[in-house]
Amino acid sequence: MSETPTPAPPPDTVNLTIDGQAVTVKKGTNVLEAARTLGNDISAFCYHPGLSIAACCRQCLVAIEKNPKLQPSCQTTVGEGMVVHTKDKASTLARKQLLEFTLVNHPIDCPICDKAGECTLQKLYFDHDNAASRVDTPKVHKEKVVDLGPTVVLDQERCILCTRCIRVCDEVAHSHQLDMSHRGDHEVLGCAPGAQLDNPYSLNVVDVCPVGALTAKDFRFTMRAWELEMTPSVCNGCATGCNIEIHHKNERAWRLVPRANAEVNKYWMCDDGRFTYHDLRTERLAVPTVNGLPATWDRAIKAAGDKLTALRKDPQSIAIVLSATMNNEDNFALAKLAQAWKAVVYVAGRAPQPNRADDILRDADVNANTAGVTAIAAGLGLAVRPLSELETALGTGAVRGLVVLGDELTLSATATGRLDQLDALVVIAAHERGPAKVATVGLPASAWAESAATITNRQGKVQRMHPAFPPPGQGAPAWEAVVKLAAACGVKLAWTAPREVFKDMVAAVPAWNGTTWARDARPLALRFAGSRG
Amino acid sequence: MAHAAHDEPPADHDGPKVLAVHGKVRTIQVARPQAEDVTYLAATKKGIGITLRHFAKNFFLPRRKAADLGKAGGAPAQQAWKNEIETVQYPEERVEYPERFRGLHRLMQRDDGAVRCVACMCCPTVCPAHCITIIPEETGDNGTEKRPAVFEIDELRCVVCGLCVEACPCDAIRMDTGEHAKPVYERGDAIENRESLLARGIRSTAAQGGLGPDWREHAPAKAATPASHTHAPTKKK
Repeated sequence: MSETPTPAPPPDTVNLTIDGQAVTVKKGTNVLEAARTLGNDISAFCYHPGLSIAACCRQCLVAIEKNPKLQPSCQTTVGEGMVVHTKDKASTLARKQLLEFTLVNHPIDCPICDKAGECTLQKLYFDHDNAASRVDTPKVHKEKVVDLGPTVVLDQERCILCTRCIRVCDEVAHSHQLDMSHRGDHEVLGCAPGAQLDNPYSLNVVDVCPVGALTAKDFRFTMRAWELEMTPSVCNGCATGCNIEIHHKNERAWRLVPRANAEVNKYWMCDDGRFTYHDLRTERLAVPTVNGLPATWDRAIKAAGDKLTALRKDPQSIAIVLSATMNNEDNFALAKLAQAWKAVVYVAGRAPQPNRADDILRDADVNANTAGVTAIAAGLGLAVRPLSELETALGTGAVRGLVVLGDELTLSATATGRLDQLDALVVIAAHERGPAKVATVGLPASAWAESAATITNRQGKVQRMHPAFPPPGQGAPAWEAVVKLAAACGVKLAWTAPREVFKDMVAAVPAWNGTTWARDARPLALRFAGSRG
Repeated sequence: MAHAAHDEPPADHDGPKVLAVHGKVRTIQVARPQAEDVTYLAATKKGIGITLRHFAKNFFLPRRKAADLGKAGGAPAQQAWKNEIETVQYPEERVEYPERFRGLHRLMQRDDGAVRCVACMCCPTVCPAHCITIIPEETGDNGTEKRPAVFEIDELRCVVCGLCVEACPCDAIRMDTGEHAKPVYERGDAIENRESLLARGIRSTAAQGGLGPDWREHAPAKAATPASHTHAPTKKK
C-alpha cells in the first residue's frame, strides 16, 4: 500500500508576500525579520533581535493588505498569505515623517559624538530624509553628561527613547538599573531609583544604543568609528569563548565588541572581557632573553637547545608545562615535543574565580582554553600530572629543566623561588611576568589578538581567532618558537603555518576530527561596515 | 591584470601609413629626421635670438617698479618686452601673491582664547596627504566636552589643498594666513603643533555649534524661495 503524499507544506512555516516577492519563513517570525531574509532592511530603532519587542519607535511601519492602518513590522507576526508593502507611498512617508519627529529634539552634535560614523540615526537620515529641519522652535535641552555608573556615560539629549538599553539590563543582565522618567519631549533616560548601572554586562547598552546617547568611558573620545578596522576573534577572558570583534588601529586594539553567535554568546559579552585588550600592551616580552638579557632569536634558541639537549639523557629531569590560557596550536606543538621527549607534562593556568560565575555568560574558569588543552593531552595520550607534583619535584631537585608555555604558572611561593635554581627554564610567553621574569631563556610569543589560531570553549566548540595586528618587537607565534626549539634539540617538527599545525591536531584529537580551518579574515575598515547598534 | 594592461603600449588609432602589403609583411612610412633637425641649427639660431632680445631689453630699457609687478591689469605679456623687465630683486622686492593663495594653517580661538576645534577628526579623515594628527581629550566642561590634546600638522607633507578647511564643521581650522612654510634644518621642525597654530589664529566670530533654530534668517537668501515650508531635499539633484 502506497501512501498518498500530502501536498500541504510543513506546519511550522508560513508563506507570505513582501513587496511582491514570495517568502517562506518559520512560524512566529515577525515581518521585519521576514523582510530581512529578502535583504530588505526595514528601518528600525527599538527592535533588536536579541531583545523583547517594544514597538515604541514606530520607525518600522509597513502597509499590510486588509489592515486599515500601518503596522509596526517588528511587532507583527507573519501570517499565511499575508501581503506586505514596505516601499509603497504611505509607509515610506510615514517612516520618513517619524524620522523627522525623532530628529526634532536631537542635538545633531555629530562632530563630537562618538557614534558618528556608525550611528543608525545618521544612516536612516541619509536613507530616508536627507532634508533640512522644518522646526523653528528651540530644541528641548537636557543633561549632556550623566554619569550612569563606573562604565557608561549618558547624553540625554541624544537619546531617542528606544528603551533598548533598559531591556538589555532587564533581560540580559537581569537587573533593572535603567528607567525612563517624565513625559512627552521631556522624557529622559536615567538610572532606576536607588540604582546605578554597575552590572557585569553594562557595556552591552552602549552596543545596542542606536545613537550616541550611551558611550563607554573606556572608549569615549579616543577614536572615531570610521578610523578603526575590525578583525573577528574570540574573547580570551574566560572559558565561555564569546565571539568578538577586535576594533583596532595603528597596531593596537581600541575596543572589543561582541559578534553575534547564537550558540555561544548570542549578541552579548561581559565587561571584564571587553577590558582584556588593555593587557595586550602591558609588560610584553618583546625580544628573546637569555639570563634576563636581550638576545637574538638564534642565540636564545641555541642556548635553550644546548641546555635541554644536555638534560635529555635523563628524560624524567625535563618537565613541560602546557598552558590553559594559550591557544590550541601552541599547546599542540609543545605537546608533540613532550611526546617526542617522553617528558612529564603539567598544565598551568589562572586560578578559578568562583564568585565570577553566573548562568548568563561569565564562567568561573578564567582560562580561555582549558577544554582545548585537556582534549589535546588526551588525544596525544599524555598523562597530565597535577601541579602539586611539580612543586614536589622542584623541591627534591628531580626536575632540572622546565619548558613553560604562557606566563600563568601559579605555584606556591617556595616552589616559585626554586624556579631560578633550575638548569634550564625556557619560557615561551607573551608577557614578562611570572616565570618569564626568572627564565634562563625567554621567547616572546604572540598574544591572543595577534594569533591565527583556534581555541576551545567550555562547550567544546573549536573557534577560530584571526590576527588583528602583529606582535610587538620580535614576538612570534609560540608554535613557531616550539618548532625552532625542537630543531635545536634534534626533534623534527615540520610545520610552517598554523594551518598545518591545525591539520595535524584535528587528526590527533578524535573529538575534533572533521573540524576545518576557517579562511583567514582580513581586517575590515569600519567605514564600510554601516551602522552598529 | 591591471599591471598587464598598463604595460601594453598605448594603442595607436590611426597607425603608420601603409605603403605596401606583402603577405604578412607591411611596408610603412616612417618619419626620419631631416639634416637640419639633426644639427639643431634652426633651433640654435632661434634660441640665440631670444637671448639677445632679452639682453637688449634688460640692458637698455628702464625698469618697472617692483610694486607694479604682478598686479592685475598690468601690461600684457606680449607687450612687456617693449618697456619693462620681469626680474624682481628678491628679497628686497617681492611680488604680491594672488588673492587665493592659502598659506600656512591656523587654528581659530573661542571667546576665551581656547581652541575652537572639537577634535571631530573630519580634517585628518579627509586629508589626502595624511599630514594632520589629532589626539582628542575630554575637557570635563559640559559645554565643550571634547578638544584636541595634540593637534599637529606636518607642513612638509601638506599639499595645500584646503580640504581640511572645507571639512571643518566648527570654523576651527583655516588656511588664510598667506604665510609660506618656513625653511627648516630638521624635517621635524616643519611640524606645527597646537600652540603654534593657535598663536596664528584669531577669535572667530562664527556661532559655535551652528546658528540655532533661526538659522534661516542668517542663511544667504535664495532666489524665489516659496514662503511655505517646502520639504525639498537640499543635497539631491
